[in-house]
Amino acid sequence: MQPESLTVYIVDDDASVRDSLALMLGLAGQRTAFFADAEAFLAAWRADWAGCVIADLRLPGASGIELQAEMRRRGSPLPFIIITAHGDVPAARAAFRADAVDFLEKPFDHEQLRAAIGNAFSKENLRLRRAADAGRLGLLTAREREVLAAAARGLHAKEIARELGISARTVEVHKTRIMAKLGARNVAELVRFALAAEPPPPAK
Amino acid sequence: MSLLRTLRDTLVFAPCYIALDWASYIDPVGPFNITPWNPQHGLAIVWMMLGGLQHVGAVLGTVVLAEAVVRGLPGGAVIAMLTSVTLAGGYAAMASVLRTLLPDRGLRSARHLTLLAGVALAGTALVGTAFVGLLRGANLLGATPVPEALLRFWLGDAVGILVTAPLLLAVADAERRAGLLALARRPETLLQAAVLAATLWLIFYGPGGDPARLFYLLFVPLIWIAARGGMNAAVAATALVQIGVVLGIRREAGAAPPVLELQALVAAFTLTGLYLGMMVDERERAAQRLRQTLRLAAAGETAGAIAHEVNQPLTALANYGQSALMLLERPGLRDPALAEIIGKMLQESRRAAEVVRRLRDFFHSGTTRLEPLPAGELLAAVRRIGRQVLGPESEVLRVRAESGLPDLYVDRTQIEVVIRNLIANAHEAIHQGAPPSAIEVQAQRQDDGHLRLVFADSGPGLSAEMRERVFEPFVSGKASGLGLGLAISRAIAEAHGGSLSARAAAHGEFHLVLPCSQNP
Repeated sequence: MQPESLTVYIVDDDASVRDSLALMLGLAGQRTAFFADAEAFLAAWRADWAGCVIADLRLPGASGIELQAEMRRRGSPLPFIIITAHGDVPAARAAFRADAVDFLEKPFDHEQLRAAIGNAFSKENLRLRRAADAGRLGLLTAREREVLAAAARGLHAKEIARELGISARTVEVHKTRIMAKLGARNVAELVRFALAAEPPPPAK
Repeated sequence: MSLLRTLRDTLVFAPCYIALDWASYIDPVGPFNITPWNPQHGLAIVWMMLGGLQHVGAVLGTVVLAEAVVRGLPGGAVIAMLTSVTLAGGYAAMASVLRTLLPDRGLRSARHLTLLAGVALAGTALVGTAFVGLLRGANLLGATPVPEALLRFWLGDAVGILVTAPLLLAVADAERRAGLLALARRPETLLQAAVLAATLWLIFYGPGGDPARLFYLLFVPLIWIAARGGMNAAVAATALVQIGVVLGIRREAGAAPPVLELQALVAAFTLTGLYLGMMVDERERAAQRLRQTLRLAAAGETAGAIAHEVNQPLTALANYGQSALMLLERPGLRDPALAEIIGKMLQESRRAAEVVRRLRDFFHSGTTRLEPLPAGELLAAVRRIGRQVLGPESEVLRVRAESGLPDLYVDRTQIEVVIRNLIANAHEAIHQGAPPSAIEVQAQRQDDGHLRLVFADSGPGLSAEMRERVFEPFVSGKASGLGLGLAISRAIAEAHGGSLSARAAAHGEFHLVLPCSQNP
């Protein structure tokens, strides 16, 4: 996945803060979308949104932390960066307990913000790759999955053939198909897929 | 020098003592100094309480002299000497006890008043027993039974002390003296004095005949006076009534007034008035403290709201500035001069943000989190903050500490705010004082599990009046500043279970008392 497909969603009730953030992030090459409050964000939200949310702690209506909780309830793992002009320690603690990526005090340094967004995006990229891997794994047949699991254990074609009771040639054919389906170029990439298949696949 | 002072004080004390003795020598038991009112003993006790016990010799000499001048040594020189030693020694002992019980030598609370009354009642009972016992032993009491003589002595001296000592302590206390003077300037005071005088007249010359029967009427103006003027007014009123009663008794000498009963009534009147006045003062102080707290809380709320409101535009400003810098990096738009200017604007916006942050931190809306802090680290913080605040002048700061100081139990951030504030104030003060400039921070261990930090500077110091005022929010001795620093610092110290106070002196001196860790 390319970073360009990731969007920074800004939720802040202060129009100038919203506008200036959008301008600065836009100039830095980021795709942005902005909302004045949590309700507007939730109304527009779609499950396939990817990127991160920068939400003000205090918003008219639901707070940034409440918005994050609501998103988790809806099954969205979008990473959150909470910002506030009212830096108080209890609020920061609450934000991190609610699993925010970062907590920034306004006015923040643009380096701080860039680092926070970078963190959020790498978390998001990992999630997207896992999801994509899991999606491709779904294309494999049962036999192909067995071959993949065996290959991931480091077995050679002959050993796999003996284990599964098929010919080595058939194993090679399966391997070629698997690599084509997963878009893997070598065995190392195959192993990565196999490992990705191990943990419970994340929500699509 | 100190001898000269003792001599000077004695020259004031002795005539006053003898005059009071003479004026109050009424209705005695035989020819002796057992009278219903002995204010001179209150004077002697207060003098030794304030001036020190070394005056006991001068007191003894004065007592003997008064005995000779006022009564002409009725029992002979030996008895006069023995009774005088009893009196002077007894009152020196009482002064010594009061010096321990009332370390700041003033009546500041109902507890202080109770201590004074307790010492007066118990002390005069003991001294009276010795005094009357001496006369009885020398067979000089004549027909008067010992219990009656004892009761008279006890009542006369106890009332004398209870009426005189608070008044004298008030006069000696700069703050109370100012209060009494302010009271004297109020027209209402004149009216109150007139009502007291009229009531006294009614008691002695009114239709009742027996002055003791109508004495209760005096309690009504007393309530009015104490409720309006507090302890200061009560002290003045009780003294006035005592003088009035004595004058009345003197005038009525022929009609044999019930002196003992009147004096008992004056004692009850005095105690009632003083406690009432003290309660009024304490209530007033509590109300004042509450007002201060509320003002402080309001200031904190305001600062928080301002910080929030200012931080929003500051955020936008920084973002726009950053955007402009990014635009200027694009080919064709490069302009180093403009970029530099925008960089400076960004720096200024960061500075503004820092000011707002410090204002908010100052109020530290969060809760106080106490943790053990080694005294050495606290002193290191004092030095570090001193360097930051004083800059090139940091050599004027001296930090002194005894060895083996215990750990403190404080919120480090908050205490550093207090230290910074005290050092910054000292820094401004030394520029108003005479050279050489000096700031000294001294750490002393206290017996009660606290550490005392004394911040002394060579500045002009505070007057007695300003000493408390500086802790009120929005009162500032400086041209700039909100006048919140000391108010907040005191609030922080008190939230720790410690205190912050100023000394009225010719140099600046603040005492910060902080709790030590429970497990040393």
